[in-house]
Amino acid sequence: MDFKLTEEQELVRQNMREFTEKYVDPIAAEIDENSRYPAEVIEKLAEGGWLGMPFPQEYGGAGTDYLTYIIAVEEMSRSCASTGFTMSLHIGLVSGAIYNFGNEDQKKKFLVPMAKGQYMGAFAFTEPGAGTDVSAATSTAVLDGDEYVINGTKTFTSNGPVADIYVAFAWTDKSKGRKGMSAFIVPKGTPGLRVGEHFKKMGLRSSQTSEMIFKDCRVPKENLLGEEGQGLQIAMDSFDHGRIGIAAQAVGITQAALDESISYSKQRVQFGKPIARQQAIQWMIADMGTDLSAARFLTYHAAWLKDQGKPFSKEASMAKLFAAEMAAKHTSKAVQIHGGYGFCKGFKVERLMRDAKFTEIGEGTSEAQRMVIAGNLLR
Amino acid sequence: MPRIVVCFKWVIDEAYIRTGASQELDLENVDYKLSDYDRNAIEEAVRLKEEYGGSLVGITVGVPEATKGIKDALSRGPEKAYFINDASFDNLEPSQTATILADVVSSQIEYDLIICGEGSSDLYAQQVGPRLAEKLGIPCISYVQKLGIENGEIIAERKMEEGVEVVAAPMPALVTVVPDINSPRVPGLKDTLMASKKPVISITKDQLSQTYEPCLQTAGILAASMERNCVKFGGELEGIAGFVESLLKEGVIS
Ligand SMILES: Cc1cc2nc3c(=O)[nH]c(=O)nc-3n(C[C@H](O)[C@H](O)[C@H](O)COP(=O)(O)OP(=O)(O)OC[C@H]3O[C@@H](n4cnc5c(N)ncnc54)[C@H](O)[C@@H]3O)c2cc1C
Repeated sequence: MDFKLTEEQELVRQNMREFTEKYVDPIAAEIDENSRYPAEVIEKLAEGGWLGMPFPQEYGGAGTDYLTYIIAVEEMSRSCASTGFTMSLHIGLVSGAIYNFGNEDQKKKFLVPMAKGQYMGAFAFTEPGAGTDVSAATSTAVLDGDEYVINGTKTFTSNGPVADIYVAFAWTDKSKGRKGMSAFIVPKGTPGLRVGEHFKKMGLRSSQTSEMIFKDCRVPKENLLGEEGQGLQIAMDSFDHGRIGIAAQAVGITQAALDESISYSKQRVQFGKPIARQQAIQWMIADMGTDLSAARFLTYHAAWLKDQGKPFSKEASMAKLFAAEMAAKHTSKAVQIHGGYGFCKGFKVERLMRDAKFTEIGEGTSEAQRMVIAGNLLR
Repeated sequence: MPRIVVCFKWVIDEAYIRTGASQELDLENVDYKLSDYDRNAIEEAVRLKEEYGGSLVGITVGVPEATKGIKDALSRGPEKAYFINDASFDNLEPSQTATILADVVSSQIEYDLIICGEGSSDLYAQQVGPRLAEKLGIPCISYVQKLGIENGEIIAERKMEEGVEVVAAPMPALVTVVPDINSPRVPGLKDTLMASKKPVISITKDQLSQTYEPCLQTAGILAASMERNCVKFGGELEGIAGFVESLLKEGVIS
């Protein structure tokens, strides 16, 4: 067993920290407040080669292992969970789907510019009536000559308003059940594709979320991702990957909560001494640090399994479940440690607490993770 | 086209230093980093190379474990690094560092310009740059906040307490830079990954022309402590008199 990161992994963490200190920390509160997409940061990430980290160089990536990429998402999320999520969504979920299931032409045409950060991706899976219950989806795709005609409404599409490439899911033959859904690559500007209502969210505010409406939206047959009927498999595989990213996001958030709690509790004086000298506060910090370490180990382990080419679906769900619940619990404790000030805008813990809640919902709720894990354990 | 050498040091990141029970420094769980001003030195060297062409190599003295520091420095621009290393090089004093650097620079590297940080993040003795220049017998310009090359000469702005001084020196020369000189760019991911592939020339102690004895003795290192106490005075005449008396006693006023 070896718990040591490589020098490269450590340096990548350090460089991402340098990056966030310079470009993200100064604007994180503002983009949250204004629900603004930080295009300038995304551009800088693209320039630095961060948006295609785990993909081979021939596809425009940097060819790192998955763990290195996960560390970068964690470090970004420590500064800004919205931007950390944008990275994880674009890289792990969307580009990953094209890398893992796309054919050579699709990889050249779509993955290369995505890995270079010239195109941003979005994943249009959830529907108003179909969240956890995937089978309730109603979007359809019908082959008409050389084109698929997609109809339906997707919701909660992150990057919806800003993406260049959408990976969208629709039934090609609902009667085939789990083998009846297919995935399509839909470029922005395709006639019949419209960005719907933007959401006003409690957290993850600078990540742009919207409905996506497909009305007789025609995409060429070549844009079918994988095979007809493979859609659900593609979605589930992508979520397995994406969940390691959300786990890393949650770890980054909890690390930030711990950093803030330590520094605040050492300097806030009540009853003539810093509150950090009160056992009640010390215990909160001890628990926070312990759960953070456990969450980080689960997350790195899932990434490591992926790097070893071993199955990681259960571990990804475990990491996501635990890291998310710990983030939600401990950001709330961090606000507690900050007292009334933590309840106000201007203290980072207030944003952390709102952002943490997302990690228990996105890419499968905690309940959905428990279903996956139990399904695996009881098989 | 200038051949540039940049010196850098891999130091303990002060953010990780804790104070032990009897004021000693607890270095058990420290991490290391590239000394702050050396980042400015490297950035300036990269900038000059971009502007005037030429070559850029890095050089450092340290313990053999400092390999991450070499990669860190290389990710910021130098083409290769000279790594003078020995297990005993963990606590060198500035005069030793400068002499060891001079030994290697004079015997192995052709250069026109050497750039150092004004001081290191750990000791901040501000000695290595000027001492190295002295050993090499070349001009030294310290406190540099702006640097350029004109007609084969170094033109440097020095940040002085009472103003700015602009000086010129023939090359080869050595400059030490202050952080005002630039804002170091963040290495991209590919720079970091490429760094491991750049050549590192490892030089061990026995390859040096002599051994270098310290001329200082460190008796001990303790954390500085600041005693705070809080005395309250009333606003009435008596209180104010007491306040003035205390200030006199503490030597705050006379
Ligand atoms: C900020 C944000 C960004 C998102 N980005 C994307 C995106 O980019 N692409 C995308 O496709 N989707 C995205 N989503 C959607 C997300 O994946 C869904 O919100 C999530 O899967 C839950 O679906 P739902 O909201 O419809 O909740 P529901 O499925 O309606 O669930 C409501 C509650 O019931 C519980 N529940 C449901 N079924 C069961 C069951 N069988 N047993 C026990 N409990 C159950 C759930 O756990 C939850 O607590 C995003 C969501 C958010 C909030």
